Formats: sequence, structure tokens, C-alpha cells
Amino acid sequence: MSVAAPPSTPLIDSIRSRRIRITQLVAVGALVLFLAGAPSVVDSFTLAQILTKALWLGIAAASLIFLSSYGGMISLGQTGIYAVAGFTMANLVHAAGGKHLGWDPLAATAVGIVVATAFGLLCGAIAARSYGIYFLMITLAISVIVFYFFAQVTVLSGYGGIRSVTMPAVIGNPITDPIPLYYTALLASVLVYVGIRYLARTPFGLALQGIRDDPARMQALGYNVPLHRALAFGVGAFIASIAGILSVWYTTQISPGGINVAQTINILVIAVIGGLYRLEGAWIGAIVFSTIDNYSRVWMPNVGDWLGPDRFETVIGVIFLVIVLASPGGLVGIWEGLWGRRRRRRSPEESSGIPTKGAVDDAVDHPAAV
Amino acid sequence: MSAAPLPTESAAPILRLRGVGRRFGGLRAVADVTLEVKPGERRAILGPNGAGKTTLFNVISGEFPPTEGTIELFGKDVTHQPARLRARAGLSRTFQTSRLLLGLSVEDNLYLSVLGAKSGHLLPIRLPRRERQMRDRARAVAETIGLADRLRTMVRELSHGERRQLEVGMAQASSPKLMMLDEPAAGLSPAERNKLTAQLMALDPNVTLILIEHDMDVALRVAEWVTMMHDGKVVVEGSPASIRDNQLVHDLYIGSRYKQ
Repeated sequence: MSVAAPPSTPLIDSIRSRRIRITQLVAVGALVLFLAGAPSVVDSFTLAQILTKALWLGIAAASLIFLSSYGGMISLGQTGIYAVAGFTMANLVHAAGGKHLGWDPLAATAVGIVVATAFGLLCGAIAARSYGIYFLMITLAISVIVFYFFAQVTVLSGYGGIRSVTMPAVIGNPITDPIPLYYTALLASVLVYVGIRYLARTPFGLALQGIRDDPARMQALGYNVPLHRALAFGVGAFIASIAGILSVWYTTQISPGGINVAQTINILVIAVIGGLYRLEGAWIGAIVFSTIDNYSRVWMPNVGDWLGPDRFETVIGVIFLVIVLASPGGLVGIWEGLWGRRRRRRSPEESSGIPTKGAVDDAVDHPAAV
Repeated sequence: MSAAPLPTESAAPILRLRGVGRRFGGLRAVADVTLEVKPGERRAILGPNGAGKTTLFNVISGEFPPTEGTIELFGKDVTHQPARLRARAGLSRTFQTSRLLLGLSVEDNLYLSVLGAKSGHLLPIRLPRRERQMRDRARAVAETIGLADRLRTMVRELSHGERRQLEVGMAQASSPKLMMLDEPAAGLSPAERNKLTAQLMALDPNVTLILIEHDMDVALRVAEWVTMMHDGKVVVEGSPASIRDNQLVHDLYIGSRYKQ
């Protein structure tokens, strides 16, 4: 009945798999070394403008990729949710603008995360029964509503936003000393990454992937699909709220201008460039994004008079298009395409708790109605 | 249509349908179906395409509610209960076209079926003993369906036959009281059919089985009681032998021109 297994040569297989494992280990080791030692390798401008920025943007994109790759939900609401965390925290501490209640910054941070997560759960409860384009539109509405709410409620923000937000003692002043914030963002990124990978193998995470593949089937197996999706959205909100807090610490301010629809699109662009199907893609997309964001302003005027320094959107847009056309799996997808053939020769595709591109494509393109 | 006498002696029925009907707009897919299934029974539902067999399955499993009549499952009225609660109560089913979780491995598919019937769907941590029990169960089922060596293969990579096998495995994995299989032999080769038949006949005798099957050989070998449907209605009920000899069944399946 089953297709005969390919002729296996255990020795060659084991050598090959060991070689790949060693290559991976070396790559991960080098990455860890670089990230841990980055403050002494790169100048503080690069550290802050590219690495720290990429880390918090990466967390924001990771919240989107978590929902899309494990839950089959592409959300445009992550910016709105992280804005709720940022604004809540900024209103609670000493700052110029907002309520400036003078709370302890760490307590304000905790409350900010809790409020944003609760807000995410509420949004999740509303959006959980929708699929595909309808889900996308509901979550876009979340971001737009949050933008106008903070823009128009001047007691809490107004268009000018909240400036000079008080930092926790551990962060210090990120403008003069970017190193503590860098390590904080790095630690947060590692925790988010490891946390999501762990969650993916728990009953909650596996059931979520089942729901991504076929919600109606999961219902027939006994799962409460809307509840599960709503809670997953809450998890995504929790992750996004961490990015929201870091973004305020990074710029020491928060204003509606930083959480508008353009920023919503930026997070989506980062996720797509990195790869919507792989968690690693979040940070890879973010580092590409922040690098181009920085250097395009410097070198673009040299390319030609018509390319002014404000053509960042053009550049990132072209890169976005090229990547979407060349590899729907983003940069991670290209990388895997190069490695895939070697790995496939090694053994049949194995489940490692990491969703495949095809699975997510199916879930997003053909959401089965429950 | 009143229920015909049942083969087993009087135990409380595990499933009781009373006047169940389902309309889709002007189409009456199922009409006035009354039937009882006893615990441990092996029941086949036969009938030509469009007879309403799958709609009846969907109504019983809770995919959608009936437009008329009531459904009692395990002694409780479940007419308007959602599918997931019926699954939790011990009902499992397969689908006519494979409905598997393509982005997950064979083992994870079976694992999710095991987990589905238990509590703790939302656990964000792995409790080692619980996990081991569920994984052991998933692997044991994989063994019985002949997919023990494909545990880590993504379901997307499986052949059609293997997928059908896994469908049955998923229905089994949750240790259900009532299993409903919708054309499990569809598209299988003769060898695969034999294997499936053997597998179904080896099922725990306490498990009640309702089977929709086009393949008369499979259906009549596995079932001890047959319900024949046509145009949404139950037209004949009886033992496999009586169904084999029933003229109406021949007319419906083969066409009345071929009367013997």
C-alpha cells in the first residue's frame, strides 16, 4: 500500500546529517557571538539605528508571523496593539504630554503589556470567527481605530504624542548609551523566539496548527476553534506589546505618527521580506529593513539626482516586489530553497514544529469556513 | 419510515434519530429518517449517489443541525449541540474526501485526534506524563493502520491510500464510543480495500461503527445490519444477507433493466 521507501544508506545519511548539523551549529554559534559582542564590534550609531531597531521591529513582525505561520491568520492589527502597550506605559510614567502619572517605569511597563494583551484578546474574540480577507480587514480596522483614538483623545496623546518618556533605571538614557537597550531588546527577542518555538509543540500550539490546516476538521475532533483562535490572537498581542514597549524606549517618545497605517504596512513588509512562514524571518526582514532604511538615505543621492534621500519607500517597495515574485517564503524561503534539496536527499520531510510554506498558503488562501 | 427490528437484543440505543430531515433551500437532502443504533453494532448505510448519506452523517456529527426531527446521542438530546461537544462525548468521524491536517506530521495528526477527546486543549505547557501517554496512543494507532514507519512524515507527502488509512486512524485514535466512517474505501486499490476491511473487522467490539460505503463487498462483510437510503429516505433495513437478495437494492444500485 505505501510507496516503497527510498534506498537508504545509513552511513552516508548519518555523515551528511552530521555535517549539516555541524554547519548549523557553527552558524548559530557565530550569530550568538556576534550578537553578544556587537556593542564592542560596531559603533554605537549602527548599534542603535540598525541592530536595536531591527530587534524590536523583529519582535513586532514575529507577532505577525506567529499568527500567520502557526495560526493561518494574517493580522494587520499588530501595530495598533503594540501602540496600546506603548501609549499605556507612556501615560503612566513621567513624560511630556499624556497623563504623566509618574508611576514607576517597570510597573507601567507591566501594566502596558497587560492592557495591550487584554485589548488583543478582545480584538481576537471579535475577529476569531473570520477568515482570509475578512480577518485581514477587521485587524486593519483595529490599527486604524487605535491610531485615531490616540490622535484625537488629547488627554491621552493627541497628534503631538508623548515625549521624554521616563526610562527604567536598567535602560538609562538610550540616546547617550544605547548598549543597555540593545541587550534588553536582544534578551526580549531571544525569549520571544524560544517561547514561540516552545509553544508550538505544546497542546495549545499543535492544536493551533491543526486549526490553521483545517478549522472544520478540528471542530469535528472536539476543539473549540473560535476560542482557540481568539487566545492565539491574545498571544500575538502579548508579543506585539513587548515590541510596543521597546519602541517607546528606543525613541523615548510615542506619537500617532509612529503607529499609522504606513507603520502597519512596514511591519507586514518586514514579515514578508523575511518570510511569512518562518519565525526567523521576522528578525531577518527587520535587519534588512532597518539597514536599507538607514543607508538608502546616505547613498541614494549618489546614484542620481532623481533619487533623492526620501526614496526609501521606493527602494523597499522594489525589494518587496522582487522577493514576493522570486520567493513567496521571503529571504528565509530563498535560503531554504538552497538547502532544501540537500536536506530532502537526507531524509523525508520531517516535522519539527515549524510550519511549511504550503501549509500556510493553504490556510490563508483557502480558509475553510467553520 | 419506522425502524425495522434490530439485530441485537434490547440495550439502550447509542444513537436514536426521530424524523430527522435536512433541507438546503428547496432541496430535501434528508427526509424523515428514524433509526436506532445499538451499542457495539456494525451498521452500514448504503445508497446511490445523492441519497443523503453524507448529509445524514453531517447532521449526526453536528456539522449542521437538522431542519426537522431530533437526534439523541449516548442517551442525550444533541439536536442543537455543536460538533465539538459531540466529539468530546465520544463520537468520531471521517470525511468522504480526506480531511487531514496537511501541514503536520502523521504522529501529530493522530496526537491531535487523541487530544481532541480529552481536556487541556489550551495547555501552553507540556506535561511530560500526559504527553507521553498521548504520544504512545498515537503511535499505537499508527501501528494498527500500518503507518508506524511514517510517523514523522508530513501528511502532505502521503499517498492517497495512506491518507485514507490515516483518516480511519484519526477516527480510532480518540477511543470513541461511536465511529462514523464516510466511504473509507473510496479510491483504494483492491489490496488496500482488503486491508481496510480486515482493519475494520478487528475493531474493538465495544465500538459502535456506522459506515457509508459504496463498495458492497466491504460494507456487507463488515456490517451486521444495513440501512438503505434513496432520495433522502430510508427505504430498506435488514441484515446483509437480506439486503443482498433485496430486489429494490438491485434496482437502485444496478438499475431495474438488469432484473434477474
